[in-house]
Amino acid sequence: MDRVLMKGNEALAEGAILAGCRGFFGYPITPSSEIAEYMARKMPKIGGVFVQAESELAAINMVYGGAATGARVMTASSGPGLSLKQEGISFIAEAELPCLIVNISRGGPGLGGIQPAQSDYFQATRGGGHGDYHTIVLAPSGSQEMMDFAIEAFELADKYRIPVMIMAEGTLGNLMEPIVMREPVLNKVDKPWAISGCQGRKPNIINTLHLGSEELENRNLHLANKYKLIQAQEKRAESYLVEDAELVVVAFGIMARIVKKAVVEARKRGIKAGLVRPITLWPFPDEDLRQAAEHARLFLSVEISMGQMIQDIQLALAGRVPVEFYGRIGFTPNPEEILQEIIRLAAREGL
Amino acid sequence: MSHISIFSGAFGSGKTEIALNYALERAVSTEYNKVFLADLDTANTFFVARDAGELLGRAGKKVHILAPRRELAQADIPHLPAEILGQLRADNEIIVDLAGDKYGALVLGYLSPYIKARAHYEMFLVINPFRPFYSSLDEVDELRKLLEMAGRVKFSGIVSNPNLVEDTSLELIREGHRRVMGFAGEMGIPIAYLAVEDRFYQELYSEYGTILKRIKLFLRPDWIKGLEEGKKDG
Repeated sequence: MDRVLMKGNEALAEGAILAGCRGFFGYPITPSSEIAEYMARKMPKIGGVFVQAESELAAINMVYGGAATGARVMTASSGPGLSLKQEGISFIAEAELPCLIVNISRGGPGLGGIQPAQSDYFQATRGGGHGDYHTIVLAPSGSQEMMDFAIEAFELADKYRIPVMIMAEGTLGNLMEPIVMREPVLNKVDKPWAISGCQGRKPNIINTLHLGSEELENRNLHLANKYKLIQAQEKRAESYLVEDAELVVVAFGIMARIVKKAVVEARKRGIKAGLVRPITLWPFPDEDLRQAAEHARLFLSVEISMGQMIQDIQLALAGRVPVEFYGRIGFTPNPEEILQEIIRLAAREGL
Repeated sequence: MSHISIFSGAFGSGKTEIALNYALERAVSTEYNKVFLADLDTANTFFVARDAGELLGRAGKKVHILAPRRELAQADIPHLPAEILGQLRADNEIIVDLAGDKYGALVLGYLSPYIKARAHYEMFLVINPFRPFYSSLDEVDELRKLLEMAGRVKFSGIVSNPNLVEDTSLELIREGHRRVMGFAGEMGIPIAYLAVEDRFYQELYSEYGTILKRIKLFLRPDWIKGLEEGKKDG
């Protein structure tokens, strides 16, 4: 049997294992806990390590240590837990250690609730912690992509020596879908920088303290150049019916699937609507948006938040096309209400 | 005669949808003016029976959902609906959606004396063999023992629920059901019924006859369906 029925969280965990991840360090939190549960169950059977840390801070620093040895390691949490992990993520980014950090997101601020949300967009795409850094952020929109992106995340992390984040809404983490199992990744990436025992060579040192002005600036320039390279090479998006679109809706993650349905319905009513789904939230696929803007009179950002990605859309379009916003939190907008918003805007603009 | 039907099964086996469907079916034929559906899936907070409460109410169904109060429904705190003990001691018909794990076992152990005191009880193990961790006899049997020992009640039947939701096919149902029958035989528990979506019912009826039961999926978000091209029903 090549297909199985998996929750998004399980698919992601299995994807990480297929990618060769053998270290999971975490602290459970709804709606991400199935990832930790899956790992707790499976890691001991495959020679891996599962540690339920005493706190999120401990967990992320275990990831820091594990990644420093060159092993593929990860953690998973949700908004409040990710906030606690930001210090460690900043250290990992500066130490240039590849790892996977997962945010199965829920509504904030504060403790918020456990309803799915996308309001950690700023935290994810702006670095999140202190200092000038970024993480690559992938936003899957189905269980299959939860598995595929977990594998892809480890590849990208090793390629650029960068922490990679997968951000998916709680709904996606808990949604059951049939998936095709991927093959395990067998090729090992050479990591000459890793702390792996220094017999016969000079010790490798992983350090994020740079007291000299020049050294500090050089480190930041080095990272900035790396981020430019990633921006040049790794932007990803999916465009749907945008060639002639007059109204372009932008949505990511599970929201993109819901919007797609609304776009199809809008087309049936003669409204030339299209969809751009950013797959990488950082680097943000601004070129795909500019391409979709060719015939567009209006953009609409649909988010499960009070409006965060809209800023990146506005930056990408640089004032060429106005951008509207529709968002909720606590509830996930359904296709019908998005359709109504599209109809309302189309009527207003005479589209 | 007070009656209780408990549906349990592994995480993701489909027990909640099965319990919902069963409650709706019983609502039509029950000797009482309504049936109770108790949402005792304490460990889960997404896609749970309480989500369907409003839907059933609007449809005028005679199913009363016993679930954590509105403001606690998303509280992410394992807890039981307050009325459960009262209703378990009353003369009525109750259908229970029970988590198939150690949390479910704890709840079942606690409620066991009240369940056994009822005139009639039955307990069903829902199995979807296409779920990871529950695709082998050992795994299914381990869960069965956990629940039976904690609850001091035996499973009376197995609900075979082989599916890959939107990707389910006739062949997949046949293959999955063969596997479930294998588990049932080894554990010595009869198959109560084979649950299939409406779209497969006609075609399979001649093969399976009366053990076949049609179900409707209530908790599946509608935006999942209808976009993926090339997916067939059969």
